[in-house]
Amino acid sequence: MQPIVLGIETSCDETAIGIVRGRTLLANVIASSVDEHARFGGVVPEIASRAHLEAMLPSIQRALTDAKVSLSDIDAIAVTAGPGLVGALLVGVASASGLAQGLGRPLYGVNHLAAHVSVDYLTHDQPTDPTIALLVSGGHSSLLQVDDITGSITKLGATMDDAAGEAFDKIARILDLSFPGGPAIDREAVSGSASAIDFPRGLTTSNDWATRPYDFSFSGLKTAVARYLEGTPSFLRADVAASFQEAIVDVLLLKALAACKSTGIDSLVIAGGVAANSRLRAVATERCEQAGIALRIPTPALCTDNGAMVASLGSLMVSAGRPATKGAFDADSSLKVEQVSL
Amino acid sequence: MTLTLAIDTSTSRTIVGIIDGDNILFEKFHEGTTDHGRALSQLVAEALKVSHPPKQVVVGMGPGPFTGLRVGISFAHTFGLARTIPVIGVCSLDAIAIEESEYTVAIDARRKEIYWARYKDGVRIEGPAVSKPAEVDGFIIDHYPDMKKLVSLATSQNVTEPMYLRRPDAVPTAERR
Repeated sequence: MQPIVLGIETSCDETAIGIVRGRTLLANVIASSVDEHARFGGVVPEIASRAHLEAMLPSIQRALTDAKVSLSDIDAIAVTAGPGLVGALLVGVASASGLAQGLGRPLYGVNHLAAHVSVDYLTHDQPTDPTIALLVSGGHSSLLQVDDITGSITKLGATMDDAAGEAFDKIARILDLSFPGGPAIDREAVSGSASAIDFPRGLTTSNDWATRPYDFSFSGLKTAVARYLEGTPSFLRADVAASFQEAIVDVLLLKALAACKSTGIDSLVIAGGVAANSRLRAVATERCEQAGIALRIPTPALCTDNGAMVASLGSLMVSAGRPATKGAFDADSSLKVEQVSL
Repeated sequence: MTLTLAIDTSTSRTIVGIIDGDNILFEKFHEGTTDHGRALSQLVAEALKVSHPPKQVVVGMGPGPFTGLRVGISFAHTFGLARTIPVIGVCSLDAIAIEESEYTVAIDARRKEIYWARYKDGVRIEGPAVSKPAEVDGFIIDHYPDMKKLVSLATSQNVTEPMYLRRPDAVPTAERR
């Protein structure tokens, strides 16, 4: 019998519950407090935490209805233990603990970043690992080597300043586009020219390639956009959006493909909220095809934070015979990606 | 009386009890302002070992520092859901037991403020509120919710929303510019 696993994700502003049976997705319920954060231009942790508590029970109940299972059918619970906003994570972990103790079922505290990669396993029959994973979201930008999704992940590089999604949010703000910035810039860029303005590609000098080939930096790009806008009163917003987006997409893929090449791993998974970006998906498809790399990008709904990814990782851990988290545990807001589970 | 799992995380203490009418079958607390999550899970696991399955959960809904408070409420909610037993919320300050006819109780609300409420003949006559200590007369502090009293409150109240008493700190982008 394949295990039925319920996953809980509350690391940022989505209260998300997923239910899987083995590698089959049964339910994926997401309650987002994003609208409440919009007027603040970013996620307000206390607002997110309050919203998690409010949305938790209704979301669990809806997921059970969608999955057509009852709580007593659940074999294991998985929850995002970190990284993320600590107050937000704690609501998820406490809810998961209450559920696990109430049901007398094992509880897996898992890594949010690993979960993002593991969601790809729900859409493919073949195991994804070993693979290179490019994880890009509002809170994270890292390049990972995944040898075993349930226990062996190596960080090749990460952003040294802003996360890619954060850069989208900030540029959207100065372009007077809405929050979150990713979808807004994606839409605006459709009518612009990606080659109109040659914005810088961070950390791509020959010295950078020699010393930190897989790290990212987006703060220089942000400054370059701001300077361009100051110096060009008649700027075309669509061109700025498209050219900015192109600079990010280009550098993300340059480094991801370089990682595939140097490790000899011909598989790339792109996950996280920014993986929903249409330009990233298009250019990745093109370049991976040229390079002979098998590309996997989850559907946009599974790229942004969701509970299915947590359930997926939990289910993979159960199937791999990995032990549940021993005893009580706390959320770890800065959990390292190498630690797939607690 | 109903065999009850009682939980309160509104103060620096994580308090767990199993109460059967007048009998306390289990009562333990853990001191630590940032430990509520781990402590609660541990204490409940311990409590369940010494008792028959509880028939209801009574949980302190605050007021109290938000992050810890939410740990207790979140846990109580899903535990109740899993066991299909009722979860009843009560005002945590009401559960602080003081042997006087008239008194004011307070707990630390951080940021140099207190959460407080005033009682007369066993009835809350003012509060709960959050104030600077200087604005509240003669309050008693450093007392904690009493598990028996917490459970007894469940017959007369059912607080469904956390008692935050403060709005989230955040300034809209428009006001920042």
